[in-house]
Amino acid sequence: MHCGNFIHRPASRRQLLKGCAMGFGGVALKALMAEQANAAIHNPLDPKIPHFVPKAKNVIFLYMDGGPSQVDTFDYKPHLEKYHGQDPRDAIGELAPTQFDNIGKVLKSQWDFKQRGESGNWVSDLFPHLASDDIIDELAFVKSMTSKFSEHTFANYFLHTGSPFQGRPSMGAWLGYGLGTENENLPGFVVLNGGLIPPGGLDCFGSGFLPASYQGSVFLPQDQPIANIKPGEATADLQKEKLDLIRQLDQHALEASDQDPAVEAAIQNYETAFRMQTSVPDLMDLAGESEVVKKMYGLDADFKNTRTFGLQCLLARRLVQRGVRFIELTCPSGNGDRWDQHKNLFDGHTKNCKTVDQPIAALIRDLRILGLLESTLIVFAGEFGRTPFAQGTDGRDHNPFGFTIWMAGGGVKGGACVGETDEWGYKAVKDRYEIHDLHATMLHLLGVEHTKSTFRFSGRDMRLTDVHGHLIEGILS
Amino acid sequence: MIRGYLILPILGLLLAANGGVFAAAQDSQEEFFEKKIRPVLAEKCFKCHSAEAEKLKGSLQLDHLQHLLEGGDTGPAIVPGKVDESLLIESILYGNEDLQMPPKEKLSDEIVNDFKTWIASGAYWPEEKVPARGEKDESGKFDLQKRFQEHWSWRPVEKPELPSIEKTDWPGNPIDHFILSQIEKAGLAPADEAEKETWLRRVNFDLIGLPPTPDEIEQFRKDKSTDAHAKVVDRLLASPHFGEKWARHWMDLVRYADTYGHEFDYPIPHAHEYRDYLIRAYNQDVPYDLFIKEHIAGDLLDTPRRNSEKHFAESPIGTGFWFFHEATHAPTDVLANEADIMDNQIDVFGKSFLGLTVSCARCHDHKFDAISTADYYAMTAYLQSSARQEVLLDENGIRAKAKSNQEKIKKEADQNLTGLLPAASSPIESETALYEDFRSGEIPAGWSTTGLAFTGTGEKAGIRFDKDDPISVPGTIDSGVYGRKRIGTLRSPTFEITGDRIHILLKANKGTVKLVIDNYQMNSFHQLLFRGSYMKQIETEGGFKWITMTGNLDKYIGHKAYLEFRDDSDGSMTIDQIRFSNGGNAPPLPAERNETPSLQLSEETLTSITEGEKLTQNWPPLRRALAMGKGTPENAHVYIRGSHRSLGDEVPRRFLEALGGEEGDRLNLANQVASSANPLTARVMVNRIWHHLFGRGIVPTVDDFGPMGQPASHPELLDWLASDFVENGWSVKQQIRQIVLSSTYRQSAKSNSSVDPAKLATVDPDNVLLSSMPVRRLTAEAIRDSILSVSGRFDDEMFGNPVPTHRTAFMTGRGARDSGPLDGAGRRSIYGAVYRNFLSPFMLTFDTPSPFGPKGRRNISNVPAQALVLLNDPFVAEQSSLWGKHAVESKEPVPDRIRNMYLSGLGREPSQSELASVETFLTSRGVETEKAWADFAHVLFNTKEFIFLN
Repeated sequence: MHCGNFIHRPASRRQLLKGCAMGFGGVALKALMAEQANAAIHNPLDPKIPHFVPKAKNVIFLYMDGGPSQVDTFDYKPHLEKYHGQDPRDAIGELAPTQFDNIGKVLKSQWDFKQRGESGNWVSDLFPHLASDDIIDELAFVKSMTSKFSEHTFANYFLHTGSPFQGRPSMGAWLGYGLGTENENLPGFVVLNGGLIPPGGLDCFGSGFLPASYQGSVFLPQDQPIANIKPGEATADLQKEKLDLIRQLDQHALEASDQDPAVEAAIQNYETAFRMQTSVPDLMDLAGESEVVKKMYGLDADFKNTRTFGLQCLLARRLVQRGVRFIELTCPSGNGDRWDQHKNLFDGHTKNCKTVDQPIAALIRDLRILGLLESTLIVFAGEFGRTPFAQGTDGRDHNPFGFTIWMAGGGVKGGACVGETDEWGYKAVKDRYEIHDLHATMLHLLGVEHTKSTFRFSGRDMRLTDVHGHLIEGILS
Repeated sequence: MIRGYLILPILGLLLAANGGVFAAAQDSQEEFFEKKIRPVLAEKCFKCHSAEAEKLKGSLQLDHLQHLLEGGDTGPAIVPGKVDESLLIESILYGNEDLQMPPKEKLSDEIVNDFKTWIASGAYWPEEKVPARGEKDESGKFDLQKRFQEHWSWRPVEKPELPSIEKTDWPGNPIDHFILSQIEKAGLAPADEAEKETWLRRVNFDLIGLPPTPDEIEQFRKDKSTDAHAKVVDRLLASPHFGEKWARHWMDLVRYADTYGHEFDYPIPHAHEYRDYLIRAYNQDVPYDLFIKEHIAGDLLDTPRRNSEKHFAESPIGTGFWFFHEATHAPTDVLANEADIMDNQIDVFGKSFLGLTVSCARCHDHKFDAISTADYYAMTAYLQSSARQEVLLDENGIRAKAKSNQEKIKKEADQNLTGLLPAASSPIESETALYEDFRSGEIPAGWSTTGLAFTGTGEKAGIRFDKDDPISVPGTIDSGVYGRKRIGTLRSPTFEITGDRIHILLKANKGTVKLVIDNYQMNSFHQLLFRGSYMKQIETEGGFKWITMTGNLDKYIGHKAYLEFRDDSDGSMTIDQIRFSNGGNAPPLPAERNETPSLQLSEETLTSITEGEKLTQNWPPLRRALAMGKGTPENAHVYIRGSHRSLGDEVPRRFLEALGGEEGDRLNLANQVASSANPLTARVMVNRIWHHLFGRGIVPTVDDFGPMGQPASHPELLDWLASDFVENGWSVKQQIRQIVLSSTYRQSAKSNSSVDPAKLATVDPDNVLLSSMPVRRLTAEAIRDSILSVSGRFDDEMFGNPVPTHRTAFMTGRGARDSGPLDGAGRRSIYGAVYRNFLSPFMLTFDTPSPFGPKGRRNISNVPAQALVLLNDPFVAEQSSLWGKHAVESKEPVPDRIRNMYLSGLGREPSQSELASVETFLTSRGVETEKAWADFAHVLFNTKEFIFLN
């Protein structure tokens, strides 16, 4: 349950921020970022001054839960055709342990690959919409991403928090902590849940040791997208009267606590909460969207999951328009257990791609039309990739040693492609990157220097990137 | 140049010794080096590993042979002539996941081969100036003694004199001298005493987590005696609710949870027994030093503390805290998994008892504190030398008494047993290697048991208290001698897995065999990657059979493991022998195990068996708790840079060097932690108590007394309290008592009117000096519990299985359990389940921590979600209706009803103007309707007074 988390900002804070803007930036920023003891008084979500001029203001993180197969989507490996059906231990050599340890034969892709757009980047037939000329050259591929974990939960926490363990702040929480929010009436970190909460649960979106105000709010694509947003009273007036009485009776608390700022802030919360009761339904109300737009996102598609993900993408755009900092989309259920095709690879990947392809292309197009693409960073990533050899006969196992992610939008060099896996698409061998590098790059594009965004916990200045992280220079515009 | 001439003949010798792999003249060596080796080093390595490196990584320089030979943190980079022993080759081969260089990109096979050739041929390096060692940041260099001497918290506790003060009539007890002295030094003055109602509400929540009832308020108001406050405190300390409040604080430290989290959120067995143990321990005021000993080594105490009512051993339950870590199934690297779990265990241990971030020393010596990596791995040695067990909580010793009575019967019956009796198995000729055959019929040295089931059958057959299988087989370990209803575990010593098969000759009825590899326990839930390591419901249909554990065992050859035989049901297991092999089958049955002698038992013997069986009837239901147990003593290896693939020095089980470094077993460790000579233990605990009573510790970073923690605001007070704590027999209740009876704690939240607010804002803006009582928000538990208590829904039942969490539409995903009731069955929050992946949204909103590690100080957030919960959550609405209904049913006059609701909800009477406002509100909504009163109840829940303490 993760409703929005805003407190009214006292005027004095605004003045302080103005002061920052006028030049005491460094010192004041440090004060803002380091002093958790004051969280109860100061609004932790006040917009903050970035470390340097940001390229993007918002992030849409397309989380491909379960791990898409790089060799069936973007990482074309003719070698697999040549050695198809052979024992990978002979063809590839020594194999690292896999999650299921059920090693089959070298498995070629069942989809055709073509080079697309001016960039000539490879895309398989699984993504006809992303492959279209006006989209493909917006994307920048990292084909040499690596993770450290073969298990979903470890890898999910790692992708989301930079640590394999439960209870660490998610990247959306770090961004909220570093940058604050631009809309007081919506949470700064929204998870549009397509139906599946990834293994590891809500801690993938948690605030960990950061204040709770930064945690992700899970929105379901339904009338009441978050818990407790709908008033119990029959009419708004009835609730208003209650709120008036509460405010009146609260004078005693203020007086008895010697005007304690935390009590004052708690009183102000009711104002924000009251406004959220309207701003959230307003977000969900698509009456103002044209039929053309809805169709573009696939809201009329035959395939139910395309409709669900289309709605998620459209809502993501609406959240960007409302200044929400970090938006994560999770996958709809029913596609053969997310992207986790240990078997039935053909069927599962076909459905998963059908679910996300058209809506994502529409999202990119729509943001471009609205002039928002250049200030929105889009990231497409799973927690790991899949093996180039079969698990059993018709599936692929987890593979953290080399997989493909892509980014688009603000600050990203469309059409770029960095890194390579070996000729099997098994392990990254050229310009290897790790999840920490993805995090460093994301923060960088939003104007945050990853080594400087720290929070004192457990006797250490903690970072999203721990002690790691390098920019993925090749995809920066 | 001279040196060059000297080196050459030696190189020549080396080459000769290597069979002339690269028998080349110096100039071709030089050419090879300059063309193939140096450019690669310069391009790929020097950025991080040379004198020019901005920041030298791993203390390794690759810009001269001398530096290569000296090596870095993980040892010499190369061994000339020995390719396989050269770490440089290991790292560029990319085989070791933790040692892959260059980090971005594997070198081509051709280059890798060049390096192999270069090293094989002796690692030629031309004569040249040795570059200086790179700039190393020496400021953070590890010097344990220096750090030990420089940081305050390592110094012994010394009881200070009371400081002098001016306002001598203010202190109520010594604590106040310390507080007042600093207030006066700052030119401030303490606040007036709080109103009686305010103090009563404060102390009620602080001690039992619940608001005072209207009657209690009335009573206290009327009590004009000088010890009125003390009477209240004594009543609250004696309340069973006290333990429910204070146990929860401790649960935050030990990351208490009912499930393991991860993909399927499997249950942690018997977790709630530990929670109940804590509640009882706090209620009985178990001395804190004993409480610590029970946590660290309660299973090893000579005379464990017994439950005051049911007399089972309490002490071992304390050790359950080690096992509330999260846990995954199917880790691809079981050693790494073990290392991560130990990290978490050491983190909890270090912070909870000592306020030390010991686990920061996992990969390198602590960056700031006097804790070395060797200290960290010495702690892992204790863990590796321990096992996990599920101890029996034998209520009233019924099962043990039955056993001693059965022993008497058996002794006599065994003497009278005649006829053709079964014999022990004779030795087997086999390719398989015998691990253990229990020939003596006694539990062998190094083996251990949990529960009262498993017993050695001796060298001669005897009776079993089981009519269907009445005669035991000598030379076995048997869980059914004292009846089928007995449950228990037999545990082997730790051994190295040497082959892919373990053959066990046994007779079983619903038995379980579990191979615990590198302390991995989750194979009881899921066998992926661990096939063959867990066999349950083993059924041999009356006779002896060989069973073979195999499956994935081949993966774990070379790993350490121990075997567990578990009889968890009304069946039994008899183990004859255990053999290991790599490939191959179990040998044939020994001749003696092929036949079951048909033995006619005398009437007398049959009567004895029946008599003994009867002693196992009508037992109370089985209760068990998760606990630590003795394992096989082991030293640990330092994992260099935290990687189990790079083994460093061996370290024994010993305490932190800064605290004496004494070697010993886990009980010895417990005694060293729970010692008044330990400078940290008492300080850390009194500081925690202080934190819970004032919202801020004397050391605000309650879990970190190291250099990165914040310093003490009142260091002398901290030491006075710590000394006093020890002098008073480590009594937690006594500490709490004197603090809440101090003048400091009795202050109003309003600062003294004689103090200039501007001065206060400058001198002490955060009220660190406590010149007034800090305003605090209630914890999630207190908020929910007080809602239940005022609405009338409160159920004061204590202990037992957790109440399942109520699941909302937003709580989906793997491992989801059935939803529990919206109101949590009216039980206190401490009894609500803590499902790691499905934590209660209500509780999370008010900052209950996610149970991943020690959390002595919760976040206190202040967010609109809290307003939304109290305004719109169905639980709050339901309780409002209930409270409203009760108010109407009281049939009291309207003003009295309002007054009573104010008293129960906010602990005070409403003012005249409040009364008027409320009456107007009620009138507009229909003052005789339950709805109107429910609405008013809802309003009270939403007032800030309801969730804040003054």
